[in-house]
Amino acid sequence: MSKTYTRKKIFFLTISILLVMSLLVVRLAYLMIAKSEYYLQKAEALHERERSIKAKRGILYDRNGVELAGNKAVCSVSVIHSQITDEEAVIRALCSVLQMEEQAVRKKVEANTIREKIKSNVEKETADRLREMNLEGVMIDEDYKRYYPYDSLASKVIGFTGSDNQGIVGLEVYYDAVLQGTPGSILTMTDAYGRELENEAENRVEPVSGHNLKISIDVNIQKYAEQAAINVLKSKQAKRVSVVLMNPQNGEIYAMVNVPEYDLNQPYRLVRAEDLYRDKSGEPDNGSLTEQKKKDALNAMWRNFCISDSYEPGSTFKTVTATAALEEGVVSVNDTFSCPGFRIVEDRKIRCHKVSGHGTETFREGIMNSCNPVFMDVGARVGPERMYQNYRKLGLFERTGVDLPGEASSIMHKLEKVKAVELATMSFGQSIQITPMQLLRAASAIVNGGNLVTPHFAMCVTDEKGRKLHTYSFPVKEHAIEEHTSDVMRELLEAVVAEGSGSKGQVPGYRVGGKTATSEKLPRGNKKYISSFMGFAPADHPTVIGLILIDEPTGVYYGGTIAAPVMAEIFSNVLPYLGLEAEYSEEDLKKTSAVFFEDSVE
Amino acid sequence: MKKRRAKSKLLKKLFWRWNEEKQTDFFDYALLFLVLFLVAFGLVIVFSTSAYTGELRKHDPAYYLKRQGFFAVAGIMVMLFLSELDYHIWKKASKIIMIGTFILLVAVLLAGVASHGATRWLGVGSFQFQPSEVAKIVIILYTAHLATIKAIKLNNWKTMARVAAFPMVCIALIAKENLSTAIICSAIVMMIIFVTSPRIKEFIILAIVMIAVMAIFLAAASYRLERLYVWRHPENYEKGYQTLQALYAIGSGGIFGKGLGQSIQKLGFIPESHNDYIFSVICEELGLFGAVCVICIFLLLIWRCAMIALSAPDLFGALIVVGVITHIAVQVFVNIGVVTNTLPPTGVPLPFISYGGTALFMLLSEMGLVLSVARQLKLPKEY
Repeated sequence: MSKTYTRKKIFFLTISILLVMSLLVVRLAYLMIAKSEYYLQKAEALHERERSIKAKRGILYDRNGVELAGNKAVCSVSVIHSQITDEEAVIRALCSVLQMEEQAVRKKVEANTIREKIKSNVEKETADRLREMNLEGVMIDEDYKRYYPYDSLASKVIGFTGSDNQGIVGLEVYYDAVLQGTPGSILTMTDAYGRELENEAENRVEPVSGHNLKISIDVNIQKYAEQAAINVLKSKQAKRVSVVLMNPQNGEIYAMVNVPEYDLNQPYRLVRAEDLYRDKSGEPDNGSLTEQKKKDALNAMWRNFCISDSYEPGSTFKTVTATAALEEGVVSVNDTFSCPGFRIVEDRKIRCHKVSGHGTETFREGIMNSCNPVFMDVGARVGPERMYQNYRKLGLFERTGVDLPGEASSIMHKLEKVKAVELATMSFGQSIQITPMQLLRAASAIVNGGNLVTPHFAMCVTDEKGRKLHTYSFPVKEHAIEEHTSDVMRELLEAVVAEGSGSKGQVPGYRVGGKTATSEKLPRGNKKYISSFMGFAPADHPTVIGLILIDEPTGVYYGGTIAAPVMAEIFSNVLPYLGLEAEYSEEDLKKTSAVFFEDSVE
Repeated sequence: MKKRRAKSKLLKKLFWRWNEEKQTDFFDYALLFLVLFLVAFGLVIVFSTSAYTGELRKHDPAYYLKRQGFFAVAGIMVMLFLSELDYHIWKKASKIIMIGTFILLVAVLLAGVASHGATRWLGVGSFQFQPSEVAKIVIILYTAHLATIKAIKLNNWKTMARVAAFPMVCIALIAKENLSTAIICSAIVMMIIFVTSPRIKEFIILAIVMIAVMAIFLAAASYRLERLYVWRHPENYEKGYQTLQALYAIGSGGIFGKGLGQSIQKLGFIPESHNDYIFSVICEELGLFGAVCVICIFLLLIWRCAMIALSAPDLFGALIVVGVITHIAVQVFVNIGVVTNTLPPTGVPLPFISYGGTALFMLLSEMGLVLSVARQLKLPKEY
């Protein structure tokens, strides 16, 4: 028998063990009661994987409620490994129906994971064919894909979306927050390797659809304008043609065309102007392009010239010079000037487009003739400081604020560097660069009574049921210029079309005002031009103002000859469409028959 | 009488003791039941924790269960066999098997099979085992035997050192590859000597010295200190991953747990959840209630062993049982302590429950020794 102290020590040992174990129980109780919630949350955050459910993207409507961008049901195909009974049959079916490489499909089918996605964005018909085969272990999920019913219409305005439902260019990105909605999610439990666990309750958060956006584009006006632009692009073999039509009173843009447009449903397919000349829409040979070159070409294709590029406006800018002169009171309509065909400014001889000169003429006639020496004189009278003040009043030093991404700003001389030569060239729209949108905005203020509007597309936001949630209003700078100046300018510009260089912009039955321009592109001497025409109607109270730019036309390149008639054609369609009644005068009626006669001769 | 029987009939009745008429008819069925319960429970939990990994790695959810089951059955048979043997035969045998174990430990250092980053296994063909697990039971027997012989003189440092000398050499060999097993073995040796010796003061000094040595040992190398930082703030260290995962499992168990088989942390989050961290899965699946029940079973087992030790027929028997108690108690404490982040992380399996063939087999053999001691209890007739 063991000694007493041994027994005592064994007893002591046992009690010690009991005490120490009690400590562990206390520790466990602390962890499992007091800290339970904390660790449970941490563990769940670790186990849960979020599978997101795409939200339905908001629809883009034109001003009359025509769908410009919507959603099309597509499907995604995935396989669930454990449910597959005949692997080979599944692989064969997937390969043939989805037209995929066998190796890639086999890898995914044979992967020992809970769920493997085979292909997304599968057309519904294709998916239905797969569904009819009734293959075990093949799952087909409905999904949405952005769809543009009018393909290329207003492509550079609308823009397109990426695979994650996010806007990439155009209105799609500018109003992404409105359109996108909130994606939903399915919370599933996974093991440490990310495999989803079966038989675990799914925690589902429903997606919230994006809101619908109504924009000021009118599909019909856009179509007219686009057709007219394509016609002139083809006939003049031009590099590109841009047309913007806007309501000068409030800045709503009716149409913005930049041909060649690209197919919004296939935004990564290159479209070139040459293809349009021949009405060819075959596959362009992308293969010959390097990756970087293709990227650049795509970026150029997506670019909206009207807002993202600046150019020398040329003679259309004379409206700005005239406005400045009238604002400053340095000229009156009947002041006389003389044009010998050039003007010597400091050491330079700056020519008028009419080499023989316009002779003695009034200011009014100077505008009608688009006479450079007249504007050089007028510009000199205004002087650099006051000229810049007026530029500023007309918003030429700021972006227009149009609701599209990527707007460029103007390129101007520094005021202290504006000497006589610079001032003279600026006066007829050279040596400075502005965007077409800036010109149109300034012109709107000049003809609408003096209010500087913000050009824009967005009109209102509606929810899925069509209820109006928000109406956009864009800032207007009232009385940017004197109303009287605007009245005079309207009258002068109407005269340009009625009797002057813009005569080809006449539309029978309507009072049209406007100004033509032919600007030689930089660098000079390459014989590359931008022919343009800015027109508005009705001249007494304009509700439409338009700008057309023909980039690098071949053959005749005078704006008055090639650009003005296109705008006239567009106006002749758009003005009645907008509910403006034609009022034919006797003269108009005669002219109309003459025009028809001429047409038939051609 | 007992002495004479042991001497005269040792050889003759070596393996057939149960035929002897003088034996008591006592068999500690309560202890046997506790052990069998723990083993069965262990198998259930091993299956629960390893089914997913087994399916993933070996395409057989029962792969780990089958292996563990084999060792459990073999271990139980050996336990029952040992319980029928007179434990006194180990007095003589202890020195020889101690030397054998020493050779094995040297062999494992020279020609061991590495696994999990440490060389602890010795392989003969397809059969592998851990000599350090064998060493535990051998050290118990050897130290108990030596302490019994020197019991009267065990009141001075010199004798204590002589008793501890050979086991400590073996422990040093173990410490090379497996520090935690070495600590457990040291605890066994210390506890056996402590119980035998009439002195207390020396042991208090010894405990203080050992704590001091431990502190210096830890502070001496920065990588050991890092282990302490990881222990205090597991969330800030990559090495704290396992501890953190175990805490997630324990915490998310709550009071009644998620239900048997419902652990998510075992699905790859806790690496080797059927090994050292098996207790965290018990917590997650069975909750605080289940965890406390498991601790209580261990306490019952220890209490039952303590009763046997207190009424053992001789000092040798009592010391064997004390060794086994120490072994189980330290391992349970360190394992649960590590899993709950009460102690710095170190790899110690939970007795009877953690996956591991050699460990289970050896533990069952130890229980066989305890049952063998219990067989010779002097009990009043009515008990």
